Amino acid sequence: MIFSELYSAYYNAVARILKEACAHPLSKAELRRIVGQEAFGESLLTIEPAILDERWQLLNADGTTPLRHEPTMPLTLLQRRWLKAISLDPRIRLFPDLCPEDPEAEPLFRQEDVDVFDRYADGDPYEDETYIRHFRMILAAVRDRQPLWIEAVSPNGKENHYIVTPELLEYSEKDDKFRLVCHGFSHLFINLGRITRCERYAGPIHYPEDPPATPKKKTVTLELVNERNALERVMMHFAHFEKQAERLDDRHYRILITYSEEDETEMLIRILAFGPVVKVISPESFTELIRERLRKQMKLQDGLFAPNIP
Amino acid sequence: MAYYELIKNFDRIRDYMREFYLYGFKSRNEYTRKSARSYDDERRRVESWLGDYMSFRQTPEGKNVFLSIDSRVSQHNPLYAAWKTKSFTDGDITLHFILFDILRDPDTALTLSELSDRIDEYLSGFEEPKMFDESTIRKKLNEYAEEGIILREKRGKTLYYRRAGYAQLPDADVLDFFSEAAPCGVVGSFLLDKTPPHADRFAFKHHYITAAMDSEIICSLFTAMGEKRTVEMQVIQRRSDRTTESQVVPLRIRVSVQSGRQYLLAYVPRLGRITSFRTDNIISVRPGEPCEQFDTHRRELDRMIPRLWGISMPVSADQPPEHISFTVEYGYHESHIHRRLEREKRCGTVEKLSENSSRFSADVYDTLEMLPWIRTFICRITAFECSNREVEARFREDLLRMYRMYGLEGGEGE
Repeated sequence: MIFSELYSAYYNAVARILKEACAHPLSKAELRRIVGQEAFGESLLTIEPAILDERWQLLNADGTTPLRHEPTMPLTLLQRRWLKAISLDPRIRLFPDLCPEDPEAEPLFRQEDVDVFDRYADGDPYEDETYIRHFRMILAAVRDRQPLWIEAVSPNGKENHYIVTPELLEYSEKDDKFRLVCHGFSHLFINLGRITRCERYAGPIHYPEDPPATPKKKTVTLELVNERNALERVMMHFAHFEKQAERLDDRHYRILITYSEEDETEMLIRILAFGPVVKVISPESFTELIRERLRKQMKLQDGLFAPNIP
Repeated sequence: MAYYELIKNFDRIRDYMREFYLYGFKSRNEYTRKSARSYDDERRRVESWLGDYMSFRQTPEGKNVFLSIDSRVSQHNPLYAAWKTKSFTDGDITLHFILFDILRDPDTALTLSELSDRIDEYLSGFEEPKMFDESTIRKKLNEYAEEGIILREKRGKTLYYRRAGYAQLPDADVLDFFSEAAPCGVVGSFLLDKTPPHADRFAFKHHYITAAMDSEIICSLFTAMGEKRTVEMQVIQRRSDRTTESQVVPLRIRVSVQSGRQYLLAYVPRLGRITSFRTDNIISVRPGEPCEQFDTHRRELDRMIPRLWGISMPVSADQPPEHISFTVEYGYHESHIHRRLEREKRCGTVEKLSENSSRFSADVYDTLEMLPWIRTFICRITAFECSNREVEARFREDLLRMYRMYGLEGGEGE
């Protein structure tokens, strides 16, 4: 069962408290600090009196504990089954340290139990040895803040070279691709699948005085009419963005979405996909992008539909 | 009843979190299905768990509460916090830590009465020591045996208890990644709670975090699939707010990484066919009897998959598909459009007709499901045909409505 106190923030906080108390008598201030770090905003209101009033008989009045060892708990069957399931995922090979063997645990799910049906077909080659080598080198470089020399091929087949300091690996579930987010001369993102060579770089780095700006945040305001279950579909579809929704009347809603400037074209076509139930209200520049596409489509209208349409 | 930060039952908070995160435009007065007291308590809990993401907006109807989370910035799903809020008794937590301290060594095996005596020793230093009777301790040990953290072994007529062996955790990078990218990732988050603090090396784009709220349901369905069992499900019809009971054979979880929705594809004996259920509409899952026909149903589903665009299931695998095709044109420097078709098609074929045009065609059970995707090619579509005339008409009418909506066609806006 997933919803269990065994995994609760309170149990985790108390485990930390007891770990400290095993080492030395715990002060109230330490207890409060640990609860603040491990649990929630109001947890102290419960945890502190429960311990100090000895309703949870785990800490003595002097801050020591009757426990003789730092608290530990074996992995639950659920945790072992989940680990077994991810050990069957092709992406696990990207990581140098594989999941520890656990022959007794049945996987929680198998690849054939899940079907991601709208993932793009040109995902990264997770079983390709060169790709795996690059991934591991980049992951280590992210950890160590180690500069890299990278050769990558652009979508047009052009070979590019970069000297970068890796920041993060960004994974897109839709694209099924990893991108390296990095600081360098001018490029912030490099698709791992496009990298042909990757080496540690030990030479001098002369980054420009004005580092490349991180992509700007932009907003778009949509108005939607709730037909064909549009409200629910739109709110789910754009759920992963920072957003605000407002009801205008029983059928109309206004939604403000914040997105990254680099994703403007993607945002544009995602809005177009909703057809006439969603209208861009502002900014005017975005509305004009939609209008421009519609104007072009109007010009192609002749002969678009079979003549026998009623 | 006094307010308490932890909760016993997840169902109600699942609804509230969904409302706050997905919609966020309802005022307090509109949560009419629940009492005002209940609303205040749930809002306070969510604020305590996810305070950093909680926002408020004052409207004429009252104060609206919403959760605003940019999942590209949050490297761990904040909604997992809700799964770490299960309530427990004073006895539960006291017993938990003492039991595992006594059974520290996996080789230590003790009987119930030995454990009971040792627990009393631990508690003897307190002013008013708690007393745990043997039936309470046995119940807790049996619970833990079900969870796989306590092992029971019989020696003669006596039952001994010891802790399960230590299992090694994988590297934190593995947990960081799969806790966000694998089904039931919240379990990975539980494991991460056991690791020392470390810097995150992954970020996630196009990352739908709402599925986290369905983790228990998905987990139960996976378990049933693994055991090839039927399940009894309670499913809510959101529009009517009605709940129905269904007996089904779960066959697969179908996940959309473009809409954020997850579906269960299941054989429904009452209907005699495979159908889909939104997992966020499933309220509960109870395991039923083993299903001998499981493999047969799954093979039937596999036969249907190449003709599914989304989740609209046919009445049978023999239902004739509908044919659809459209052609797009593009400039000399826009060859990525052809690649887009290849990359984004889930079935069907793409033909390159010339240097500047490509045609997609497919035979699927429900062509209506394809229209949103086809609309993403607006400004390039030169031909469109569908054997379902209603779908063809819908596509045309929608385009005309869009022209009007944006003041085209003589500037007449909607």
